[in-house]
Amino acid sequence: MASIVSWPPTISPWAVVRYWFRARRQPPEGKERRARFNPFAWLVFILGFLYFFLPLVGTFIHSTRTRPDNLLAYKQVLADPKFFGGLVYSFTVGVITIIVSLLIIVPTAYWVRLKVPRLRPLVEFVTLMPFVIPPVVLVFGLIRVYGSRPLLLLSSNTGSDIVLVCAYVILSFPYMYRAVDTGLAAIDVRSMTEAAQSLGAGWVRILWQVIFPNLRTALISGAFLTLAIVIGEYTIANFLARIDAFGPYLSLLGRNQPYQPAAVSLISFALTWLAMGAIAFLGRGAQTRVQVAGAR
Amino acid sequence: MAVATRPDGQGVPSALPARRRFNLAWLGLLPFFLFSVAFMFLPAIYLVVGSFRNNDGDLTLQNYVDLQTGIIPGAFLTTIEVSLVTAVAGGIFGLLLAYSVILGGLPRFLRTALMTFSGVASNFAGVPLALAFIFTLGQLGFVTVILKNLGFNPYESGFRLTSKLGVELVYMYFQFPLMVLIIAPALEGLRRDWREAAENMGASTYQYWRHVALPILTPSILGTMILLFGNSFGAQATAFQLTGGTLNLVPIIIGAQIRGDVLHNPGLGFAMAMGMVAIMAVSIGLYALLQRRAERWLRS
Amino acid sequence: MPRLLVGGAVLAIVAAACGGGASTAPTTAPTGTPAASVGTEPTADPMADLITAAQAEGTLTTIALPHDWCNYGEAIETFKSKYGMEVTELDPNAGSGDEVEAIKANKDNPGPQAPDVIDVGLSFGPSAKDEDLLESYKVATWDTIPDDAKDAEGYWWGDYYGVLSFEVNTAVVSNVPADWSDLLKPEYKSQVALAGDPRTSNQAIQTVFAAALANGGSLDDAQPGLDFFKELNDAGNLLPGIATSATIASGDTPITIRWTYNALSNRDTTAASGGPEIAVVVPTSGRFAGVYVQGISAYAPHPNAAKLWNEFLYSDEGQNIWLKGYCHPIRYENLVETNAVPQEQLDKLPDVAGAVFPSLDQLNAAKELITTQWDTAVGLNIQ
Repeated sequence: MASIVSWPPTISPWAVVRYWFRARRQPPEGKERRARFNPFAWLVFILGFLYFFLPLVGTFIHSTRTRPDNLLAYKQVLADPKFFGGLVYSFTVGVITIIVSLLIIVPTAYWVRLKVPRLRPLVEFVTLMPFVIPPVVLVFGLIRVYGSRPLLLLSSNTGSDIVLVCAYVILSFPYMYRAVDTGLAAIDVRSMTEAAQSLGAGWVRILWQVIFPNLRTALISGAFLTLAIVIGEYTIANFLARIDAFGPYLSLLGRNQPYQPAAVSLISFALTWLAMGAIAFLGRGAQTRVQVAGAR
Repeated sequence: MAVATRPDGQGVPSALPARRRFNLAWLGLLPFFLFSVAFMFLPAIYLVVGSFRNNDGDLTLQNYVDLQTGIIPGAFLTTIEVSLVTAVAGGIFGLLLAYSVILGGLPRFLRTALMTFSGVASNFAGVPLALAFIFTLGQLGFVTVILKNLGFNPYESGFRLTSKLGVELVYMYFQFPLMVLIIAPALEGLRRDWREAAENMGASTYQYWRHVALPILTPSILGTMILLFGNSFGAQATAFQLTGGTLNLVPIIIGAQIRGDVLHNPGLGFAMAMGMVAIMAVSIGLYALLQRRAERWLRS
Repeated sequence: MPRLLVGGAVLAIVAAACGGGASTAPTTAPTGTPAASVGTEPTADPMADLITAAQAEGTLTTIALPHDWCNYGEAIETFKSKYGMEVTELDPNAGSGDEVEAIKANKDNPGPQAPDVIDVGLSFGPSAKDEDLLESYKVATWDTIPDDAKDAEGYWWGDYYGVLSFEVNTAVVSNVPADWSDLLKPEYKSQVALAGDPRTSNQAIQTVFAAALANGGSLDDAQPGLDFFKELNDAGNLLPGIATSATIASGDTPITIRWTYNALSNRDTTAASGGPEIAVVVPTSGRFAGVYVQGISAYAPHPNAAKLWNEFLYSDEGQNIWLKGYCHPIRYENLVETNAVPQEQLDKLPDVAGAVFPSLDQLNAAKELITTQWDTAVGLNIQ
């Protein structure tokens, strides 16, 4: 076997054959075992694929009904500098929102799971509240609180941006909390903490070097959901006079255009998808899970 | 002296009474609570206060009394029903979809594609989503046309995109992706060793899922379903575009009272929002009960 | 310590919210009446002073002004370039309720979130005045605005009106309906949709009210309108769902009922994209006109900019811009008398002779009836 590992390879054919047989029987460590062809999984996937793609196809068909130039709507949208400006602004706000939200939610979810499980229903109730407060009520409430003394934040652009980010962090709470909580459920938080503590790590270190890396998938899911919310949101951005954001740009485009909004939603769909891909790529890191504890 | 034991099983012999440690631990949640108060509860105060006001500005309980009149009770029932259906159905198929890419042996790139796509689709809602479905399954939608050419007219069989079922079908577009994204880490957490151990003991696939995997996943599935429930509960723009308000959903009626071109009764809208808060609280209570049962065996 | 701060803040906010019903007294503005003859551009000094003061403020904040509604897009651009002002446009899709709420929420806020001017439905004018949210101001051309379309004390004033008309996608509907009763014909099965929800949208409520006029009712009796839509629904012609420009163009909702200006501007934008030809038909009976009103916020951070904006809108130039958007500006009769409108513009306007304007009381009574009865009377509700 050693002959395979060195470079340039001095390979004997028999070593190759032996290796090939062994590899077939026992996949190398760290790779997930590939299941056999699973028709059920393929069926489910194909059904899901159809369900998701057909409406997008329908939108595309509608957006290309412009005459004489079928792609007129797309050309108009892509030629508008405010389109990309809006996306960049919202993307930036989204990234900041993700970071703030993670910094609040991950320690909270971790703490609830570890130390105060009795308070869990209360915390979950609070995280689900953004669903029942209408966004227009939230934004007018924020204006009332932060648009008057002594907390007058809204008179400046920076202050308004801060309020916007904080509002979006609130909107992201349900998704971020649930994603992180599910991720924590899948790892053995208690053993990891105890092991790290026995090695002398403090809380910050535990969170940063033990918990965060093990929540990779959960954090990426939460980041995706938050980014999608921020890019698509427009009520709060509008009333906070953040007219550089993507949502307000869309609403100025006018509901009264017949084909352009369809083109815009497809283009922004594609671009947001690319952005998610970028996040996924950046967040990929090691594929193996770090198992601090042994088998339970 | 008695050993202080707590529900999480951590029995700690300690000179300090258990209560003191509990209080200190609570402080760890302070940043979260402070942030929520600052940017959610404080702004929402005018909603709470407004629910006790009528149009003339006097304090009154009339709005809460009015919650029992007219179309409002039916609207609450309809909203709960739609949310439950989309939460359960969305949860089940979302779980299957996540399973198919993570554990189902599909090529790796499909998993990344589904995860990233789910990220975008999770917020594809409102007017664009409604229009997308109208262009696909509406009376002149391209799928409807294809089906008609194949000899089957769904509209003659009573299918309506603007019915409750149609709205639920459209809601799935953001419910499935939400389930997929949230349950993914839980599915990943199903260790290969468990599957192998079960197979070594002679379990079939069905038995593995029924006795090992699903019980492990149930707390996470329940948690995600409550999220889906809340997500659907607060949604209104999609249904509004599709049905024009003929499907009575609470967020739509709240919107009608609070915004809109005609003078209405915002106090009633606020009272309805408080009703939603109450329903959410009850749902969390039920969910916490279920959770406790599901997690009981994990506590050993 | 943090708990004390939080508790104190909560108490303060609750106290403020509870006491917030009584608004702080707005600064009373002098009613500006620059000396000028009726129907001409104001040229006296007060106007120049106003321009200077507005330019010192530098920016105007508007709300709920879609660019294709009455050609507001051109109005805003012209205002910006003519006076060198910036304009912050808040939510163009806001409803009148949102606009009023925005004023209330932003009472102490000098930032860009506070709207300076509002454009709301007729019933919101008096109610906003009652809540002390408006500032009184009379534009130079005040006297040419009809009396029944303005507040005597100058707190609100009509801006434009339109008549409810049918907007029809002629590629799908070959036989264009000419009147309300035509809509009941079986050839229009599953083709008629409203452009809003009659429980919340001004346009949709007036649609029902307008149907009443054609169905044996009057401005005092809107019930026949509900009956008409019940009949329309029973015949299977009425679609649930909201008609938008996209669904009209695609043919999913080929017939809808909208203000003439919305329908005509939609016809133009659809034609510009090469979409199907849209016919706009003012029904032969049941011609119903709806007025919107302007107001200046009493808490406007830029009051002079707000006044300048109104002076601009009510000058001949501004009124003509609205007219280009197919709206009938409120000074329409006066403009026609003084020949201030190019003939080609006049020709493009639809014929709305015989249109009736409901009074405020009639509007409120009808709205009361329609919004409460719509669910039960028409029977559209999905169970």
